Amino acid sequence: MDLNLNRADYLQVGVTSQKTMKLLPASKHRATQKVVIGDQDGVVMCFGVKKGEAVAVFKTLPGQKIARLELGGVLNTPQEKIFIATGSEIRGFTKRGKQFLSFETNLTESIKAMHISGSDLFLSASYIYNHYCDCKDQHYYLSGDKINDIICFPVERLPRITPVLACQDRVLRVLQGSDLMYEVEVPGPPTVLALYNGNGGDSGEDLLFGTSDGKLGLIQITTSNPIHKWEIRNEKKRGGILCIDSFDIMGDGVKELLVGRDDGMVEVYSFDNANEPVLRFDQTLSESITSIQGGCVGKDGYDEIVVSTYSGWVTGLTTEPVHKESGPGEELKINQEMQNKISSLRSELEHLQYKVLQEREKYQQSSQSSKAKSAVPSFSVNDKFILNKDDASYSLILEVQTAIDNVLIQSDVPIDLLDVDKNSAVVSFSSCDSESNDNFLLATYRCQANTTRLELKIRSIEGQYGTLQAYVTPRIQPKTCQVHQYQIKPLSLHQRTHFIDHDRPMNTLTLTGQFSFAEVHSWVVFCLPEVPEKPPSGEGVTFYFQNTFLDTQLESTYRKGEGVFKSDNISTISILKDVLSKEATKRKINLNISYEINEVSVKHTLKLIHPKLEYQLLLAKKVQLIDALKELQVHEGNTDFLIPEYRCILEEADHLQEEYKKQPAHLERLYG
Amino acid sequence: MLLPIFTLKLRHKIIPRMVAVGRYDGTHPCLAAATQAGKVFIHNPHTRSRNFSASRVIQSPLESDVSLLNINQAVSCLTAGVLNPQLGYDALLVGTQTNLLAYDVYNNSDLFYREVADGANAIVLGTLGDISSPLAIIGGNCALQGFDHEGNDLFWTVTGDNVHSLALCDFDGDGKKELLVGSEDFDIRVFKEDEIVAEMTETEIITSLCPMYGSRFGYALSNGTVGVYDKMARYWRIKSKNHAMSIHAFDLNSDGVPELITGWSNGKVDARSDRTGEVIFKDNFPSAIAGVVEGDYRMDGHTQLICCSVDGEIRGYLPGPTDIGGNLMDTSVEQDLLRELSQKKQNLLLELRNYEENTKAESSSPLSEADGNRGIIPANTKLHTALSVNLGSETQAAHAELCISTSNDTIIRAVLIFAEGIFIGESHVVHPSTHNLSSSVCIPVTPPKDVPVDLHLKTFVGYRSSTQFHVFELTRQLPRFSMYALSSPDSSSEPLSYVNFIIAERAQRVVIWLSQNFLLPEDTNIQNAPFQVCFTSLRNGGQLYIKIKPSGEITVNTDDIDLAGDIIQSMASFFAIEDLQVEADFPAYFEELRKVLVKVDEYHSVHQKLSADMADNSNLLRILLVRAEDARLMRDMKTMKNRYMELYDLNKDLLNGYKIRCSNHTELLGNLKAVNQAIQRAGRLRVGKPKTQVITACRDAIRSNNINTLFRIMRVGTASS
Repeated sequence: MDLNLNRADYLQVGVTSQKTMKLLPASKHRATQKVVIGDQDGVVMCFGVKKGEAVAVFKTLPGQKIARLELGGVLNTPQEKIFIATGSEIRGFTKRGKQFLSFETNLTESIKAMHISGSDLFLSASYIYNHYCDCKDQHYYLSGDKINDIICFPVERLPRITPVLACQDRVLRVLQGSDLMYEVEVPGPPTVLALYNGNGGDSGEDLLFGTSDGKLGLIQITTSNPIHKWEIRNEKKRGGILCIDSFDIMGDGVKELLVGRDDGMVEVYSFDNANEPVLRFDQTLSESITSIQGGCVGKDGYDEIVVSTYSGWVTGLTTEPVHKESGPGEELKINQEMQNKISSLRSELEHLQYKVLQEREKYQQSSQSSKAKSAVPSFSVNDKFILNKDDASYSLILEVQTAIDNVLIQSDVPIDLLDVDKNSAVVSFSSCDSESNDNFLLATYRCQANTTRLELKIRSIEGQYGTLQAYVTPRIQPKTCQVHQYQIKPLSLHQRTHFIDHDRPMNTLTLTGQFSFAEVHSWVVFCLPEVPEKPPSGEGVTFYFQNTFLDTQLESTYRKGEGVFKSDNISTISILKDVLSKEATKRKINLNISYEINEVSVKHTLKLIHPKLEYQLLLAKKVQLIDALKELQVHEGNTDFLIPEYRCILEEADHLQEEYKKQPAHLERLYG
Repeated sequence: MLLPIFTLKLRHKIIPRMVAVGRYDGTHPCLAAATQAGKVFIHNPHTRSRNFSASRVIQSPLESDVSLLNINQAVSCLTAGVLNPQLGYDALLVGTQTNLLAYDVYNNSDLFYREVADGANAIVLGTLGDISSPLAIIGGNCALQGFDHEGNDLFWTVTGDNVHSLALCDFDGDGKKELLVGSEDFDIRVFKEDEIVAEMTETEIITSLCPMYGSRFGYALSNGTVGVYDKMARYWRIKSKNHAMSIHAFDLNSDGVPELITGWSNGKVDARSDRTGEVIFKDNFPSAIAGVVEGDYRMDGHTQLICCSVDGEIRGYLPGPTDIGGNLMDTSVEQDLLRELSQKKQNLLLELRNYEENTKAESSSPLSEADGNRGIIPANTKLHTALSVNLGSETQAAHAELCISTSNDTIIRAVLIFAEGIFIGESHVVHPSTHNLSSSVCIPVTPPKDVPVDLHLKTFVGYRSSTQFHVFELTRQLPRFSMYALSSPDSSSEPLSYVNFIIAERAQRVVIWLSQNFLLPEDTNIQNAPFQVCFTSLRNGGQLYIKIKPSGEITVNTDDIDLAGDIIQSMASFFAIEDLQVEADFPAYFEELRKVLVKVDEYHSVHQKLSADMADNSNLLRILLVRAEDARLMRDMKTMKNRYMELYDLNKDLLNGYKIRCSNHTELLGNLKAVNQAIQRAGRLRVGKPKTQVITACRDAIRSNNINTLFRIMRVGTASS
């Protein structure tokens, strides 16, 4: 069965955060649902759709940015109370817009994630988790790394309260009370959690997770251990997952999986007989999908997927057919509605334009006076700088609420900018005089009209570190630009992992000296990505890393006065030694450095590199031959005269070329 | 939504830009395209191809309806069309670096096969101006040549640089076609037969040209720009990071006006409105587009748009029905309009809020360091720009300089200059390191060519610790001769070469021209005529003298013939001079040219000698092979071995000979180019009619091999003294 969905835009609010839009349950006598959305201006808006037009039910006054929006209510009744998290405060509204709750938590940081179940409230700030029951503090937990999302299994189905935290260091932390029950490692930094089928599946313990590198998976969290059910790898290199919902959009009685990604991709997965997910539908909406939910909003009887995007659009992907296929009379009516909508918008625009002109003049006049000041309008930039494991390169994603005019990329370390298919901006590299101005890369990206999202790919070299700066200029008046800085760390190609192979021959670097735990931690943060900025609690800590490019590993164990770094790659150790001693000298700390070089490790690392190098060389050679062989094929008419090896190359030509294209300059990089 | 009405997958690669549809038997349209290994394939889906017996055509082993034509040389251009109106069917024309072949596919015979020394980079077929018979016009190294169906050379002229694209278009609306030539020096020239009627300077090599309708034509550049011109005026252009492989005019939405169809290197095909450049249709191929053509490929009376990819995928599109209102995309127009309006509203609201916040900030306390972080600067901050000439120092070469400074203590974080043709990319960035930040920045600019350039500046202004900056946008024009510095006259270094002409203009007007086209210091004060000014080139230190006498006689002394030409052309357009006869003498350049001409003769004779040698050797080769095989049959292994050894040596000789021939040929081509350029340059020293006269006369002189006449023409402008 084919799924055909048509796009309908309802309205636009301010910039939205992740998971800030919900559909209120339908009331008894009306089938269409109302949408409630909170934006970063602090406005909560509830609206329904009447005849294709959005009609507001209520709208609150602007305030602090809304980080989350959830629905709640007494268990086993319709969940129609609206809860928002803004700053360190939780507010509750009825579906009519009356505020009934304002709960100032004692958290010092602002709330990042929220889950509500009956009278239980689960909150998390960056590192802290808190559980409240009837606004009374119950439990508390300090996580080792940033918490991205939080969820709790339905208490009405399970006899216990089991909250799960999605943490940036690639683990899900399953809690019981204030204590950690166990950790589950997932393939990427998890960004979103959702209950399977909306209720935890058959067992009530099935949990869906989405990661920032675009992977999706299902895990059953039992009391003793996790059971991995399935996992979808991100083969098509799509964006990170921001929201998940379960809804029966195909009308076959089984709930499908709805997924929204940060590159604007909306996907629908259905399940086959073996309960494995199969992609049924995808559509791209050009900007981050911040929330997604299935329901019925636009028209009675037609289900739809409602999504909200980063710049605040609420859009429905509805099963209702486009007006061309409906009856002739109806088409006219819809057109009429559309026309009304357009003309009302036009008049509104005219009015606004006039007002803007006036203000602009005032602004111009003010620039004549000597006392006046001119402030830069602020705009929000949604940015992401992540390491891709597959090709050992960094992705820089910039998203602005309005169209981007141009982006200037400046770097004080040598890096390569790679071409990304998705990005249509015209890139131009400028020559740089590196000695005097510390510029190793200056490039401008001039964007095409209506580009709100720009994706860049960057390849760094381990051992060379510095900062990458992006100056983003959007198309708004008065023209301004914003700088964003990204650190390129000395061991930039390393990635956090939780298990390493302890049998490999290791080189050891040992540091001893008069330094505190916080100091040594800050050095590690400086050297390696994906380490939490806050020093972990406890006396000492051990982190494991893996080199995404060469598959070598690094183990770092440190505490006050001592740090031990072990790696099978000797260059990793030498980079660490250089950077650490430099950092220590900067702070005038005397370090005793001692190494233990394992000669076997060099051979071991070379052995790791060798098959890769050989494979790449062979691939390059084969790809080089393809064209010539094809020519022979055309010339001779058949391939019978070729030796089997060449015939094999011809048969696999497309595949080989594809693979070669995927890893540009991989070979040069291996050569170093 | 417009869907392809047919899709074919041929198992042959297609070389970009070399695709043509023709009715080679008079009725059935066939697709011809150049493929690998110096072959051209002809796809004929309508009739089972007869088995050709001749050597040139062979049946493709891969597909039954494809026949292959062996050219045995890399194909450099290809087209199809009516060359001989009496024949009633189309001819296929294939150009290579040395030859042009007109081929009759139906009869499997050559119409003509001509050697073209200048190569054929581009080809176009049609009628030009008043020449009655259709011409196959090829563009090579600086030269244009037109052949009729018998291979007679009816048209010949030169242009500024290597030709990359050609098109025929009724440029001036007189009902006759003019020839548009896009060349490597970024110029589009319009030839009315052999007279240049217009010249447009673009920013990159012009890779494709196509006539749209009337005087409108589309163009594509090698940096990913496509656009539409109407006569001399550019209607629109867009730039993409991909390259436009092929452009074609086709009315896809049935509104009576053709759209510009572009095939891109990333496999995208889009149709853009000729007026606005707005995309009305797009589709994607899995690989780069090789060519976009049109033809009635299904033979049902409707012309289709046919797009071919380099991997041999071919898709045909029928124009959309008229009733869908020109909308070929799948989203509804209203939806898009609504989204656009809403976006506009959102932008205006944002701007409004910006002003509100601004007033809020204003009402707060006086300026402090914290404000600087948020990007608040005094409202009366102004930006000054100044262009000047910097004579350079020991470490830095001389250059033109652009200085930008703010009017107060704010600093310039970075400067982005968007300008075309003077930097490696389209932009140049100056980003001082944090400890070098100041309120002024000087940027060296060295335009490689003497053309006026618009510099679009974006300056980020703020404070040292700011994370948000104000962007000041302004545009400055770099004058045409910015790379020449005013210097004091020194008669001893005055160049011997000169041009001399008379214009009927007052000296003041010449001074105005000077100040607009050169970067003169502000205190320059030029007295009335007669006067003379002296400039030094920042590129090579060459001297330039411009002298004007009260009679209006102007003498320009420079050794650079191109510069002299640029000055004359610039003056002619400034004073609106239509015809200008010029007396010129460039002894050094002429001496060089004389040497080149001698060399050309030498290379020609060497070429002939080598060809003869090669023919001898190949005869010998044949004999040796037969002898060796004889010996083998007679089991005389020793003789056979000797013969084969000889054969091997001979083969080596042949290979060496070939290498010599190759290098000889490239040398020859380079010299021929120099000759063609010399004629072009001599032409550029004149304006209007005298210009055409000079080019024609020079050409005749070269044909008759009369070198002395050639130089006289270049000097005085006419052959007769």
